Amino acid sequence: MLARVSRTVARRANVTRTLCGSRRSFVQPSGADRASVVDVPSTYQEENHFAPSPDMLGFKLEAPQRDSSATEQVRPIYLDLQATTPVDPRVLDAMLPYFTDQYGNPHSRTHAYGWEAEKAVEVARKNVADIIGADTKDIVFTSGATETNNMAIKGVARFHKEKKRHVITTQTEHKCVLDSCRKLSEEGFDITYLPVQKNGVIDLAELEAAIRPDTSLISIMAVNNETGVIQPLKEIGAIARKHRGVYFHTDAAQAVGKIPLDVNEMNIDLMSISGHKLYGPKGVGAAYVRRRPRVRLEPILSGGGQERGLRSGTLPTALVVGLGEAARIAQKEMARDHARIKQLSDRLIQGINAEVEQVVRNGDENGYPGCVNLSFSYVEGESLLMALKEIALSSGSACTSASLEPSYVLRALGAAEDMAHSSLRFGIGRFTTEAEIDFVVKRIVATVHRLREMSPLWEMVQEGIDINSINWSQH
Amino acid sequence: MSSVAAPSKQAIKSLYHNMLRSSQSFSSYNFREYFERRTKETFRAMQNESDPNKLRDMYADALKESTSLRRGAIVNQLYGGWKVAVEVPEKPEEILERGNN
Repeated sequence: MLARVSRTVARRANVTRTLCGSRRSFVQPSGADRASVVDVPSTYQEENHFAPSPDMLGFKLEAPQRDSSATEQVRPIYLDLQATTPVDPRVLDAMLPYFTDQYGNPHSRTHAYGWEAEKAVEVARKNVADIIGADTKDIVFTSGATETNNMAIKGVARFHKEKKRHVITTQTEHKCVLDSCRKLSEEGFDITYLPVQKNGVIDLAELEAAIRPDTSLISIMAVNNETGVIQPLKEIGAIARKHRGVYFHTDAAQAVGKIPLDVNEMNIDLMSISGHKLYGPKGVGAAYVRRRPRVRLEPILSGGGQERGLRSGTLPTALVVGLGEAARIAQKEMARDHARIKQLSDRLIQGINAEVEQVVRNGDENGYPGCVNLSFSYVEGESLLMALKEIALSSGSACTSASLEPSYVLRALGAAEDMAHSSLRFGIGRFTTEAEIDFVVKRIVATVHRLREMSPLWEMVQEGIDINSINWSQH
Repeated sequence: MSSVAAPSKQAIKSLYHNMLRSSQSFSSYNFREYFERRTKETFRAMQNESDPNKLRDMYADALKESTSLRRGAIVNQLYGGWKVAVEVPEKPEEILERGNN
């Protein structure tokens, strides 16, 4: 109450004291530490909205500036590394010259600007090829893994549509793969969505049984973005090799730079690479398209025939250089990063399991350690996320986080509906620290305990009642 | 690699101090911790390295990285700097007392 009175008094005092023609700010904003009022007064309008009033005597209004709010904001701990990764400062350093002075178009053949940009692109291409064990000429730069998935699946299927009308994929693929397959099925193709076992890995016998004489493509992702499950790429590649004319595409967006990949050893014909999962910039990706034996596909973008005719358009030099540098650093740091991430991941899981019971890990124990998907029984997922405001986490994948449906990946793994709703995905990466993990463990344990205390279901479970045996009456 | 002569102990030490100082000048918590830890690990490995050729290669790599690190730190100071939740000292939970009426 007192604060309201003092504000209006100050306003009138300001107006009467000033002379005509001078600019004064209307109200000095007080910092949050001085505010003792919890609710805004009924006469209060939006901060930046000041309506002129008659007793202002024609003064100009200045919206109050938020000064140095940059130092007052506290950012949450970032543990959503499957959604995106921060750009490594070394990668940014490699990109900046191509945003400042070396801005040439790499396809310009007549001057130094073009030549130096082209040289940088070729160096980046070599770096990306090295990390997957491919040849430089096999790499095509695109705008991201989604574009590459579209290009690979639709391109291969449509090129061979005369004789081959069947595509095989799994139920746990990324949304863009599933959507491309759905589009193909609308065009008249047959799509087989293979189920996965309880631990998220596909059954190789089922895959072999699903291959028909008119199969053109098998598309199976290397590392799942929601559960971290690693598929047996070598075995799948061997199966695809056995059948002539069946191409093997893998969406390796989450796998490149994190687990060792070799396209020749694993018999991969097409691969999708994403820049922003590799500590590189967003908006760039790459496609590996095998040339021996040649994989033919119909390009999606028509234009000047850049990138072997498979992806026309000017290459974004800076982004491509960033992707190349990120790939080079990832190749160098892979072993070191993997060991450290495994250590942090074990610390997280053991820390939570020590204090909280009835926690289920979705996915394979031997999956990628940097992606931990945990379901907490008798705790609602949304309320758990809302309570963890200082931690940036997600439940399920970013693509589906807007809808209220539980993740289809967890459903494919056989998780019950309520367990799928209460799942959290922890992403651990190169820049995560032990202090952050300890903070997260403490917060999660406290929040889960608090939410369980409030839950009547938990009370019943503690008393020994079996929830599934209860006959809920209809209202 | 004969472009860089066998690095003297003094050179390695001064490079280490330079890189450590660059790492500590990052404004962002995650990058600062990562580069500090990495610099210490790299130079500890160099200390334990006995093969002079390998040592020369490691030193050359570190030299190339040190300039990139310094620039990265400057850019980060320009744009980064918000504190992450784990850096902010935790306020003790307020003990709410219930009145008697």
